[in-house]
Amino acid sequence: MAVRANPDLIEELEHFGAHDAMKCYQCGNCTAACSHAEDASTYPRRSIHYLQMGLEKPLRSTLDPWLCYYCGKCSEQCPRGAEPGETMMGIRRWLTAEYDFTGIARRLYRSWTTELAAVLALALLTGIGFFAFGFLRGGGNLSVYDGPGAFLPAHSVHIFDWTMGITLAILLNYNCVRMWQFTMRNENALPVRPGLYLRHLLLLPEHFFTQKRLRACENKTPWVTHMVLMFSYLTMLALIMLFLKDMQSGPQVNWYVHFFGYLSAIGLVTTSILAIRGRIKKTEPYQQHSHESDWMFLGLLLFVSVTGVVQHVAHRLGMPMTANIVYVIHLMGVVPMLVLEVPFSKWSHLAYRPLAIYFSALQQAARAEGAVSLGEPSKPQPAA
Amino acid sequence: MRENVKQTREGSVKSEPDTTVGESDAASLLIGVYFLHTAGDGSSSFDLGCVAKYAARLPGVSLVRTLPSTTALDPEKLAREIRKEMLNTIVLASEQPGFFKPAFSRALTLAGGDGGQVRLASFGELGSISTDRAKAVVASAVEGVPFDSTPAKAKSGFSTATLVIGGGVAGIQAALEIAESGHKVYIVERTGTIGGRMAMFDKTFPTLDCAACILTPKMVAVGQSANIELLVMSEVEDVSGSVGAFKVKVLKHATRVDASACVACGDCAHFCPVTTSSEFDMGIATHKGIFIPFPQAVPNTYMIDEAHCTWVLSDGKKCGACAKKCTKGAVHLDAKDETVELEVGNIIVATGYDTLDPRRIERYGYGTYPNVLTSLEFERLTNASGPTGGKIVLKTKKLNKKTKTDEWVFEPDGPKPKAVAIVHCVGSRDQNYNSYCSRVCCMYSLKFAHLVREKLPEAKCYEYYIDMRAFGKGYEEFYERIREEGVFLVRGRSEAVVEHNSQLYVRGADIVADKLIETPVDMVLLSVGLQPSHGSVELAEKLCIPRDADGWFQEFNYNAEPNSTGRDGIFLAGVCQGPKDIPDTVAQASAAAASALRSIVGAKSDKERGNIPLAPVDEKAGSPARS
Repeated sequence: MAVRANPDLIEELEHFGAHDAMKCYQCGNCTAACSHAEDASTYPRRSIHYLQMGLEKPLRSTLDPWLCYYCGKCSEQCPRGAEPGETMMGIRRWLTAEYDFTGIARRLYRSWTTELAAVLALALLTGIGFFAFGFLRGGGNLSVYDGPGAFLPAHSVHIFDWTMGITLAILLNYNCVRMWQFTMRNENALPVRPGLYLRHLLLLPEHFFTQKRLRACENKTPWVTHMVLMFSYLTMLALIMLFLKDMQSGPQVNWYVHFFGYLSAIGLVTTSILAIRGRIKKTEPYQQHSHESDWMFLGLLLFVSVTGVVQHVAHRLGMPMTANIVYVIHLMGVVPMLVLEVPFSKWSHLAYRPLAIYFSALQQAARAEGAVSLGEPSKPQPAA
Repeated sequence: MRENVKQTREGSVKSEPDTTVGESDAASLLIGVYFLHTAGDGSSSFDLGCVAKYAARLPGVSLVRTLPSTTALDPEKLAREIRKEMLNTIVLASEQPGFFKPAFSRALTLAGGDGGQVRLASFGELGSISTDRAKAVVASAVEGVPFDSTPAKAKSGFSTATLVIGGGVAGIQAALEIAESGHKVYIVERTGTIGGRMAMFDKTFPTLDCAACILTPKMVAVGQSANIELLVMSEVEDVSGSVGAFKVKVLKHATRVDASACVACGDCAHFCPVTTSSEFDMGIATHKGIFIPFPQAVPNTYMIDEAHCTWVLSDGKKCGACAKKCTKGAVHLDAKDETVELEVGNIIVATGYDTLDPRRIERYGYGTYPNVLTSLEFERLTNASGPTGGKIVLKTKKLNKKTKTDEWVFEPDGPKPKAVAIVHCVGSRDQNYNSYCSRVCCMYSLKFAHLVREKLPEAKCYEYYIDMRAFGKGYEEFYERIREEGVFLVRGRSEAVVEHNSQLYVRGADIVADKLIETPVDMVLLSVGLQPSHGSVELAEKLCIPRDADGWFQEFNYNAEPNSTGRDGIFLAGVCQGPKDIPDTVAQASAAAASALRSIVGAKSDKERGNIPLAPVDEKAGSPARS
């Protein structure tokens, strides 16, 4: 069936950071240079071709961009300065917007003022909400940080965290379902029987936790920093979701909680500072171009990490009022960061990347099964 | 020339050329000269009265009138005057005489004459900076000779010699064109022979002619021309002056062999103990410390390789075998460099190109893998005068007895490659190296494929290309032909040359099949792009001519004057202006020669015509009417 071309696609993608794709003259150097590209997925060239031709549907149903980890080797070697790595990054942003059923992601990516306004509005709402809650339902006493009568009682925050977490998870999961529809249920994708889904299910946790495809890139540094960042974040997430009471405890200290807390705080602050510094100095090829959403994400991450540390220090130094105020400020960063980033922006890749690996493995498996059932094409016998 | 012009103008009236422009003209022509001047504007730079008086004395002029240009011209009134004076030709002299022409045409017609016989003497167009100039303009209109064809005074001190910088096919062509028209040419060539890059080639595309068969006769013609002086091993040091009188200092490196005595017998090289790699063979073959670049070199003379000669390196203390063995006594090892001063009228720059050094692109493995070759190396390998006599073989490891190290060399009986890959666009169309298309690589790559398939029919040949640029006459047909010869054409740039288990692989993307491919090959030919020849920057500074963004010499006008520079008297020929193939190079070289000849032959092509000799006209006018 003929594919309908969308001539405005390239213009649309420019808003997502794919500025140089039209420079590409389809030489294929990027594909040959890529340590990940394989016969089944000859990116970045193929994705750029879809983009140049305005083939919106094939571009939406491709998994290739999620299999690229942007080491930047393609961009370094590109003879045309078409920035294939950055183009793939732009396509990932666009795909995030495509998967998102609410349309929020598209608005956030296309306009940094919208994104900024959304962050500020959410921050303000959070601030007002928590102060109001503290004064009306909490202890109402700003100088009590922990224990009974705390300004923000741990169990109430706990309930809030879980509510928000579940909501965001539902949103993200729904976007994942849409991703599955686009990539696995289009006319070009092979049908995959449920048994295969089960057999390869372990790929998801495997790639989620090891990120071994990123490690396969020639430059190992991004893998190290990314792993540190991710595990710091996961540790902190676990601490907050499960041990919030211990973290907000009084003089009696639960040291194993604090130990992990310190580790992950160090990890978060260091990696976010390193990432920001790298993007300012543009040291690595993948740091040459920064979309507004990249700055917003890194800024929020650093803000949240630092305020978390300050809050803890104030608490330990016996300054409960400072601790409480910084706590609310901290939450004013946490809420917009999680609400906007997880289902609608950069952080959604935590789901999309493992899923893409999983789906492409399923496609390969389905192709292999199909090949077996069809049998090898018989070779023509030379005439006797 | 003058006669011709008159013929065409008056062809219907007179058929035989008149060598003495005189009575017959004067008898048949009755000319009225009308000056239409703007009174009192002070802008006229000449004495109108004087010019009018002068005009009155010109042959055939029977009436001179001076009218203010503001006069309302009544054709009836003018016709009466014309009839009375029996005029049949009118000359209008004014800033813009064309403005008044209709009225006078009408008047002539009314008077019963030919309305077309109105001649214009336009000061606005031809200039009237002096009274003499104005006289000349009027006189040429009266004579009916186009002003540009009037004889101009030959400029004194205009040198008719031409300097050609670079002795490749462009320089050779330009030099021959000028020399054969009878003018002196100096060729300054940096290497020991003329011939340039083309002399290295085996075949030319798309005709697959033998390159030497085309070039060698031209080289010999240069060597034999009485008008061409060849300065090999020479470089332009300094240029001063301007068109017509350039003063050029040329540094002549000592070849240490007397060219007039050497008969190229080769005895000296036979006894020379030094062996070094040959520049002409792109380093894939060797020559002795005293050598001749190649057997057909012009001048056909041996020379000393100063960088390697034992005698030179030891300051004359060691060796000297060549000088002792030379029966003609032609070797003068103690000869010194000298500086020659030339005076030339025009300079043709034909410095050609170098190829990109593929060591810059490490991933192609040039310099690492012995059987990754550049295009020029392959030209020498496949050339019958190359190290293997034209056999395409792989390099073999050989122990160098002197240095006790293994070296990879071409041997005539070396192993034949079973598969050859040709990689297009190496360093071309790539913003990391040269962003422009080098224009010749597609075609010479196809030529290589043909040579490989012709000499080794068993061998597979792969071309990795991005776009196939077959733009010239016969090129598309050549492309089709090579395709049919069974060459694998892979659309997609190859990314790298890698080695697994001592087998070379070319890694690339086949973008048509959308597949990644790794092809096992034995030999890789890198189609390296062209770039301005080394020393172009310095030469541009010496000549005061601009270079473009890519480093090529900048032509004056891309479309209209592709062989002119911004400077009068300096012209461009061949690849030094931008990549081009041999036919285009030769065509441009001839064009550059024509440009140089234009200024040699006709000093009148000169736009400044302040000093037109009026003597011949004055003579006819009867008296020297000088103001």
